[in-house]
Amino acid sequence: MAERTTPIRVLIAKPGLDGHDRGAKVLARGLRDEGFEVIYTGLRRTVDAIVAAAIEEDVDVVGCSILSGAHATLLPKLVASLRSSGASDVLVVAGGIIPEADRPELEQAGISGIFGPGTTIAEVATFLRANARRR
Amino acid sequence: MPVDAKHLAARRELAQGISAVERPGPAANQRIQEALAASVADARNALVVGLTGAPGAGKSSLAAALADVARAVGRRVAILAIDPSSHESGGALLGDRVRIDEHPDDDGRFTRSIATRGSGRSLAHVAAAATILVEAAGFDLIFVETVGAGQAEIGIARLADVLLVVEGPEGGDEVQAMKAGILEVADIVAVNKSDRPGAQAAFDRLRSGLALGAGAPELALVSATAGAGISELLATIDAAGAGRGVRGRIRRVEAHLVAAAESHVDAQVREATASGALTTRAEQIVAGAQPLTGSITALFGISESPDA
Ligand SMILES: Nc1nc2c(ncn2[C@@H]2O[C@H](COP(=O)(O)OP(=O)(O)OP(=O)(O)O)[C@@H](O)[C@H]2O)c(=O)[nH]1
Ligand SMILES: [Mg+2]
Repeated sequence: MAERTTPIRVLIAKPGLDGHDRGAKVLARGLRDEGFEVIYTGLRRTVDAIVAAAIEEDVDVVGCSILSGAHATLLPKLVASLRSSGASDVLVVAGGIIPEADRPELEQAGISGIFGPGTTIAEVATFLRANARRR
Repeated sequence: MPVDAKHLAARRELAQGISAVERPGPAANQRIQEALAASVADARNALVVGLTGAPGAGKSSLAAALADVARAVGRRVAILAIDPSSHESGGALLGDRVRIDEHPDDDGRFTRSIATRGSGRSLAHVAAAATILVEAAGFDLIFVETVGAGQAEIGIARLADVLLVVEGPEGGDEVQAMKAGILEVADIVAVNKSDRPGAQAAFDRLRSGLALGAGAPELALVSATAGAGISELLATIDAAGAGRGVRGRIRRVEAHLVAAAESHVDAQVREATASGALTTRAEQIVAGAQPLTGSITALFGISESPDA
């Protein structure tokens, strides 16, 4: 396949109701410095809002910042909604504190990458470069 | 209820079209021409409003507030928010959507973040092409937000049917200096954050500082977040854009042609720099082995006018 000529576009979303987005902002800036185009949407977005934003921005990746296992239930819904909207080639990854026990189910649901605390930005960048759609 | 997939299909097609024209080449040109043909066939007449001003003045918030008012009366509204790409990494942080509420079920709205990529300090080269595609998709009011700085201002002034400069209540020296050039081309200056102290004073200063003669911009005092003065501002925008007729679309094509030329020259300069041809030529000129005249043709393929 042809070499990419444009930056990978990543939507960073913070689904759910809690109000901390420090981690999401650090990731957004870090990925910018790694050469990604990062669209940051702010706090408390619904799954529908994230899907619509991902479509309008034509992103290659949606990265969700999750603070607790409870929010992890939103992720399968997000993947399903992206697929039914014709955006099945968009990579969905998640970062945050996700219990080991929840991982298989999330991977099963189509979450391609799960990054726990302590993952470096460089590791995330490498993963996205290797796995984002080519175009 | 999940967002309707069919609903999103039209927005997806437009979104992919914009990505396609971000990759210059024959395919991009064909898309733009198809969009123009569609707009002519459908007798579209979109109004393109440029918003520029200092970082944090409230451009995104104001675009969102204006979009809400316009949408409430059934107009189809798009926002294109342009932010600079990092010169070093090539990446960009596009954060304008934070200030723009999502309306996932509403096909009458479209928001897109655009990075300047290789456009340097100019307006994003793709901006004009994006407005052409957005118009063809049936949006009749298009806001283009860009940080007010240097060359980008010239670009947005060329592209927009109506140019709106957004100011915060501070109005410091820096803002004054920035204003000098842009005020000459602004159609409207809006002092935002009227809910905050100092806004009225900034507005008064501006009013007394501007000549009231023909060609002076209209002034507005608004609050994007409190929703004050927004309908009035939209009316002022519409009045300023009235009578543009087909000029609007012609202006967009002009802006695209200029952007395409700039982008072509940029690419040639990068190529000549990277290959060493630029240095070689400069050395030859210094040594008297090559004339200066003809050099930019040889290096960049730009024909020189006889008296250049
Ligand atoms: N008090 C008050 N705050 C406002 C108003 N409009 C915008 N803001 C705030 O000003 C800050 C910047 O607003 P933005 O809309 O992001 O400004 P911008 O000009 O788009 O900023 P950049 O895109 O970063 O250049 C945010 O915290 C807004 O909430 C207003 O009318 N009143
Ligand atoms: Mg903004």
